[in-house]
Amino acid sequence: MLSVDRDKCTGCNICEKVCPFGAIVVIDGKAQVQDNCTLCGACVTSCPVGALSIERRQIPQDELDAFSGVFIWGECEQRAETLIPKKVVKELLSQGRLLADKLHQDLTVITLGDHRLTGLDSLFAHEADRVIRCQHKLLGRYEPDSFTLVISAIITKYMPAVFLFGATPNGRELAPRIAARLRLGLTADCTGLDINEDGQLVQTRPAFGGNIMASIVSPFTRPQMATVRPNVFPLAQPNKPKKRRIDDFQISLSKALFRTKVVATHRLEADGEASIEDADVIVSAGRGCQNKENLSLIQELAVALGGVVAGSRAIVELDWIPHTKQVGQSGLTVAPQLYIAIGISGAIQHLVGISSARTVIAINNDPDAPIFKVADLGIVGNALEILPVLIRDLKNRASAPK
Amino acid sequence: MKIIVCVKQVPEIADVQIDPETGTLIREGVDSILNPFCEYAVEMALGIKRQHPETETVAMSMGPFQAKAALMRCLEMGIDRAVLLVDKRFAGADTWATALTLAEAIRTIESRFDLILAGKQAIDGDTAQVGPEISEILGIPEIMYGVGLELRNNKKKIRVTREIETGNEIVETRLPCLISVSKGPMIRSISSFQEILDARNKELRLVTADDLAMDAHKLGLKGSFTQVVKIFPPRVKKQGEIFDGSDAHAAAHKLTDFLSSRRFI
Amino acid sequence: MHEITTETLPIVDFSKVRCIKGYAELCQNYELYLCDESRLAHQGAECLFFPASEAEISAIFTEMGKRGITVTLSGARTGLVGGAVPYGGALLSLERLNKVLGIRYDVGSREWIVRAECGVLLRDLNNWAMKKTFPGLYERASNETRASLKHYKETKETFFYPPDPTEMGAALGGTVATNASGARTYRYGATRDWVRRIRVILASGEALEIPRGKYFATPEGEFTVVHSTGVETAVKIPQYAMPQTKNAAGIFSAPHMDLIDLFIGSEGIFGAITEIEIALHEWESPVSIVQFFSSDEKAIDFVISLRKEKSIHPEFIEFYSSHALDLLRKKQATDPKVIGMPPIPDDARSAIFFDLRFDPEKKEHDYSLLEEIVISCGSSFSRSWAAYELRDLQRFKDFRHVLPETVNSIIAERKKEMPELHKLGTDFAVPDRALKEIWEFYKSKLEATGIEWLAFGHIGNNHFHINLLPKSLNEMEHALSLYREFASKAVSLGGTISAEHGVGKIKQEFFSIMFSDRERDEMKAVKRALDPGHMLNPGNLFAL
Repeated sequence: MLSVDRDKCTGCNICEKVCPFGAIVVIDGKAQVQDNCTLCGACVTSCPVGALSIERRQIPQDELDAFSGVFIWGECEQRAETLIPKKVVKELLSQGRLLADKLHQDLTVITLGDHRLTGLDSLFAHEADRVIRCQHKLLGRYEPDSFTLVISAIITKYMPAVFLFGATPNGRELAPRIAARLRLGLTADCTGLDINEDGQLVQTRPAFGGNIMASIVSPFTRPQMATVRPNVFPLAQPNKPKKRRIDDFQISLSKALFRTKVVATHRLEADGEASIEDADVIVSAGRGCQNKENLSLIQELAVALGGVVAGSRAIVELDWIPHTKQVGQSGLTVAPQLYIAIGISGAIQHLVGISSARTVIAINNDPDAPIFKVADLGIVGNALEILPVLIRDLKNRASAPK
Repeated sequence: MKIIVCVKQVPEIADVQIDPETGTLIREGVDSILNPFCEYAVEMALGIKRQHPETETVAMSMGPFQAKAALMRCLEMGIDRAVLLVDKRFAGADTWATALTLAEAIRTIESRFDLILAGKQAIDGDTAQVGPEISEILGIPEIMYGVGLELRNNKKKIRVTREIETGNEIVETRLPCLISVSKGPMIRSISSFQEILDARNKELRLVTADDLAMDAHKLGLKGSFTQVVKIFPPRVKKQGEIFDGSDAHAAAHKLTDFLSSRRFI
Repeated sequence: MHEITTETLPIVDFSKVRCIKGYAELCQNYELYLCDESRLAHQGAECLFFPASEAEISAIFTEMGKRGITVTLSGARTGLVGGAVPYGGALLSLERLNKVLGIRYDVGSREWIVRAECGVLLRDLNNWAMKKTFPGLYERASNETRASLKHYKETKETFFYPPDPTEMGAALGGTVATNASGARTYRYGATRDWVRRIRVILASGEALEIPRGKYFATPEGEFTVVHSTGVETAVKIPQYAMPQTKNAAGIFSAPHMDLIDLFIGSEGIFGAITEIEIALHEWESPVSIVQFFSSDEKAIDFVISLRKEKSIHPEFIEFYSSHALDLLRKKQATDPKVIGMPPIPDDARSAIFFDLRFDPEKKEHDYSLLEEIVISCGSSFSRSWAAYELRDLQRFKDFRHVLPETVNSIIAERKKEMPELHKLGTDFAVPDRALKEIWEFYKSKLEATGIEWLAFGHIGNNHFHINLLPKSLNEMEHALSLYREFASKAVSLGGTISAEHGVGKIKQEFFSIMFSDRERDEMKAVKRALDPGHMLNPGNLFAL
């Protein structure tokens, strides 16, 4: 409950102005809370006289203290005939290390897989203290029912304080399943993680499409669960592993457990094609490219720069490119050295997806397009006229004698 | 066959802006709409109904009284009836408390269902958590990121085409189950004036915490496991150089210079 | 009263007025200011003034008068007939006069009235009025205005400024000078109906303050302007009758007319309108409906019946002819996002786009009268598109605008092959009684030629646009002769050759179809009286 101390309230209207939801109205000189209050707390911190407070539930500290350690789901992907941890796991390790050190606790990765599971040394090279490995012939591919079960069991046994998932499609399915099963607080798509003076995990994430940031805690439940988008935290350089501790977690699984069954898979990407999540150079197309045929220009430019093609949600909806190449809030977060946005106006949801890009170039014929606000170089002009000239120049340059 | 579509009313994010002075959301003139991914879920339910006309479709939402408008939109689109979970005690719910309340409502008042459809995520929160949480609470299988579906084995099983990282896959499961939907028609559908008038005569039931016989401590903020402690504006990147590209050659030249100065070529 | 006395304005230093000088400089770096939406070729200008006050405008007029240099007035340059395009001389941009000056409630007329400078854009004016915040007004306002502003903010209702010429980037001053109208004119009339007071700077540099309802022509049709020097000028208003349609062609004239109406729609040839008071109207939430019919004629029958039913009050009634829908279908097949609507139903052979008051919260709705009319025209509510969410109202509006844009892009494609080609679009309107007759006339002539054509627009005011899309120079010539024929027909039925675009510099040929030499001489006489040196807006209405 958000409560107003009517004696302290001066009716100054500040809370009314700062409330992101319009849930406070000053009536007769006193603030009044409306039904649509979400208890976000924006008003509490801004009230100059401390008239606003939110009653929050408390839980005894010793109960919470029983939980210790920072855990990470070591999601694996298939490479050739092996299962190896994904890049996002290493990004989480870099951030997880900082959290574990602040808490003076261990950093653990949980990996599930069948006999093909390998590449665990890389986890130690990224400063994991321990790996908990669960190998079973039925865990060869991710499946929500079995993975929910195994990881829930591991959490119940090991009682970690913090549990992080990569916000990959699988991670975004698995985390809420586990959270609901174990009755845990969960924060999605975090872009910042820290430990506060009470030893709580402070999870910061964009809301309202990225228009505003919210910091969130899970005061009553352990572990504190969060998902983190790939490419949000920087990948640290691997070190020579100091220690190497692998605990095997034994479990017996039956096929009866699996309620869903994959019938067929269609790859939309060519074998060996780099994911846009891993690309250093991305040339990205939006509706301003006018039609699908013009994407050949985007492709040519990408080839000339050694990069890959991506696109905005708008052109995915138009079926110009598959969803696997969509950048933005409902697509992928990318972190290239160079991102060239062509004919993309730059809705806030798109900008969130490129906030990790090092250098951004935008070409758009609308000078008011929001993309220019984040561009290191913005060209106001017709991309369809500029690109052919640019591609020719780049080709000439490449073939010119040094 | 009965399909429940869980929907949410959200602010039109594209219109949301930040006051540069106070760093807060400017809410004036921002409309509330049916979350686009929820609209896709509604379309999917209606697609099934077109193939199996005996299907009953129910839209359910939890939210303030104003969220009726989002349910009205569902009814206009062709959903048969709607349920709004509305109670002061629901306010401040995080994804867990929201999922629990919706699941409880489904269990209590719509128990004989075959399929639950939900949007992949809501554009205001983007958490994508409520769907899988509901399925876990109800103990039913769930398939995320659905783009198409097909009922099989005399409507005992369902095959869902879903988006995955590398493409698409087809997954089969048994009913009842929950499917989150990530794609719909390229152009939002439009109702006829007849449908708009008819929708206003369809059943729209209001349900409170008392109707669900749920303990107050499980609801809303009290029942939430997460708490927002701070809200602040995002860091703004400094704007770079803007170049007039009306001359394609000058623009191409500018680009090659820039790329070479940053050692990309 | 027929006698009005001028005001002199404070004297300011002419040399301090912001000014860009030089023909070459303007052509090179200020070309934007030399063009408007008509794309009419300009003849350049010697200097471009950016005055910030009435006193500065007065100083410019006085100085230019002395030097014998003409002045073209320019607002937001959204006009379609070249009104703001300079033919040499000086160019005066009014864009810096862009403040809202006041708001008051008029007890007599029971309406909210906003006072604004001429450079305020309609888009802003409407946004501010609807959101009830006028930037900077509180700070610069008197105590009295502050009190009414507070009162305005506290009213429950939402208000808006009804004139909507589609182009909301237009400047208020420009819309008054051209008596702009648009789709909503059907319900709310043209700009003229919403102007309550204006201030005008005459070519002499003196100002007139003209409230509505104070200065009327004598029975002989005369006004007297008493100058500060004591000299009196008699202004004899023209004696012709205005067409019984919405109209943007020619100087307004009526027996006992109000002086304010002489300036509204005069295309800036009598003076610069600097301040305007406009009335607001209560905004009620609407539903937009696109009702489909099985033929053009059924749609026209529907319009005629709908207009007769006085208990139904659409704000606008817009037409999509059969060929217009076909064009949209074709575009939809290649670029559905641009059209932004689901597929147009196959059996739709025409459509009427209109709106009605609609409260989405209400359960009971009675639209049985409307339904009867729809059914009597062979259609049903099921064969319609309807929406009331703001984003959808905008989507419907865009669906209307995409039509001329699509036509323009088709013509632009053809121009690549044949640069001489251009689109011919009529702006004719006729009285209500002539709607069927003019449609049949157009259609029979057009179908006989084989030239690609379509019709769309403000059919509520019998003012739909016929667009001809010639494919060859031969067709182009044929189309031009049809266009002249249509203009004569429209005038003969008591209509106008320019219902909303005005005459400006590019419709003078048709102007002469509508007004005789004598009638145009009467207009010129008014011009001579108020601007004896022919300094202002040379080329507008009358050739140089």
